[in-house]
Amino acid sequence: MTGPADAAPHPRVPAPGGPARSLMTLNGTAGQEWRNWSGSLRFTPGKMAYPGDEGEVIELVRQARANGKKVRPVGTGHSSSPIVNTDGLLISAERMKGLSAYDRERMEATLGPGMAMKEAGDALLGIGMAFPNQGDVNVQRVIGAISTGTHGTGRGLHRLSSMLVGGRLVTADGSVLEFGEGDGHRLLRAVRLSLGALGIFTSITLRLMPACILHRQEWCTTFDLSRERLEDLERVDRRSDFYWYPRSDRVKLRTWSPPGEEPDIPRAKVVKEATGWSGDTLSRERSIRYEEMEYEMPEDEGMECFEEVRERMMAHHRRDVGWRVLVRTVAADDTFLSQSYGRPTVVISIHHNASLPYWGFFQDIEEIFLEHHGRPHWAKKHSLTAERLRPLYPQWGRFISVRRDLDPEGLFLNPYLRSLLGEEA
Amino acid sequence: MIPLGRRRWAIPGGNIPPDSTGPEPRWTSFDELCVLNAGDGEASVAITIYYEDREPVGPYKIRIAGRRVRQLRLNDLIDPEAIPLGTAYACVVESSVPVVVQFVRQDTGRAENAALGLMGYPDDGTG
Repeated sequence: MTGPADAAPHPRVPAPGGPARSLMTLNGTAGQEWRNWSGSLRFTPGKMAYPGDEGEVIELVRQARANGKKVRPVGTGHSSSPIVNTDGLLISAERMKGLSAYDRERMEATLGPGMAMKEAGDALLGIGMAFPNQGDVNVQRVIGAISTGTHGTGRGLHRLSSMLVGGRLVTADGSVLEFGEGDGHRLLRAVRLSLGALGIFTSITLRLMPACILHRQEWCTTFDLSRERLEDLERVDRRSDFYWYPRSDRVKLRTWSPPGEEPDIPRAKVVKEATGWSGDTLSRERSIRYEEMEYEMPEDEGMECFEEVRERMMAHHRRDVGWRVLVRTVAADDTFLSQSYGRPTVVISIHHNASLPYWGFFQDIEEIFLEHHGRPHWAKKHSLTAERLRPLYPQWGRFISVRRDLDPEGLFLNPYLRSLLGEEA
Repeated sequence: MIPLGRRRWAIPGGNIPPDSTGPEPRWTSFDELCVLNAGDGEASVAITIYYEDREPVGPYKIRIAGRRVRQLRLNDLIDPEAIPLGTAYACVVESSVPVVVQFVRQDTGRAENAALGLMGYPDDGTG
């Protein structure tokens, strides 16, 4: 379904002029293999480019279009689904960095899209702001995390996409699209989680929260001792999650609280804790390489789904799988392709070593996720294509309508995205 | 404290029992390494796992403070790879300072539980 406002042309800003771009920047590098963080994705793009500003992005997009090449944006390669693969032009935003504006009253800041989460978090701390939530790792680029629906944990807390309230996007015809909340949010609701399929971001404005201190506590217990408590943690509006360990049935609960407001968790022992700025306590750096599948289930099915996953892993998979399962929560939102569109969710992530066969295990558990109406993380492993994704997203048609309006020829689509979105060539 | 033990140890008979009975983690079947660092300095320990049919995997890195013991369930190791249950393996333990290494197995696969504890083979570097 497409409403009249969706069909209306989006406001365009004339492309800026400017000095001629350096040949090296625009030609980029060719013939070099690209690989993702885990090593499971490898391909050789026709060219890789690192534009330093919006003008260079415009020129790159126009050149690619004129030469019949496809374009895909890329972040730090922390995703493990082939949404970035292309034999055309791969554009990295890593040279477009910096904090360009902020408004303390509105608690908003405008950033270059190429900043990594950690780097941006440090810059925001300097102006007394912080991300309202963030993921378990902080190596992604901010725009990559936003565009793929990355999230943190906390029943009342939204995914990172929801903090995007405006910005600038170079679209397929080489013009610049300014977007924000003033257009009835319809465009914003598409742009917020768009998998790089609508254009190349050159500036992003985020709604943030005042910087704050959090006390992170890690509590060890067992599944039997903590069963009721786990359900409580998934119900209360607290930053919390838990790991479950398949080879011991142990549980590690994690809570993040303002100092002085820590929970009391009976029959669990604090084994690790730290107090610091929210960004430093919410995410951790990890060096180990793993593959991951993650689905978000409706909140009221979440714990039942987890218990089925636990039983299946205990019965069939722990011979080979030693990795823990992570269970988190995310608030409902209205972004068209958000995994928590219209419903608060319980998120279950399964992992396995990147160097070991993982797909049979993932496929077996995926069946349980789908029986519980799960929606997959766009940037992690899953087996769904448009046929099965479309019914899961009530606003699917509105996103597709915006995409076709902005990029009718599919400049920003690769074969994987075409199958994912049902946009056959 | 005078350092006690050796820097290199080998345990050839690894095989984590695949089945368990009874409440876990108390009654989980496991293979376990017990490492005693009786010296004053921290021990940096690297474990390498050998298999029957593929190349060794490692190092699994752990640290043990001076004058401390650490009991490590091999079932729990995941970095760089989980060790498959029910599979023959051996492990070599290399430490930055002398340590004593014991190997313990608990097998609860049947109602009649079994446990065993063996010393590892200490390599004194003369072989």
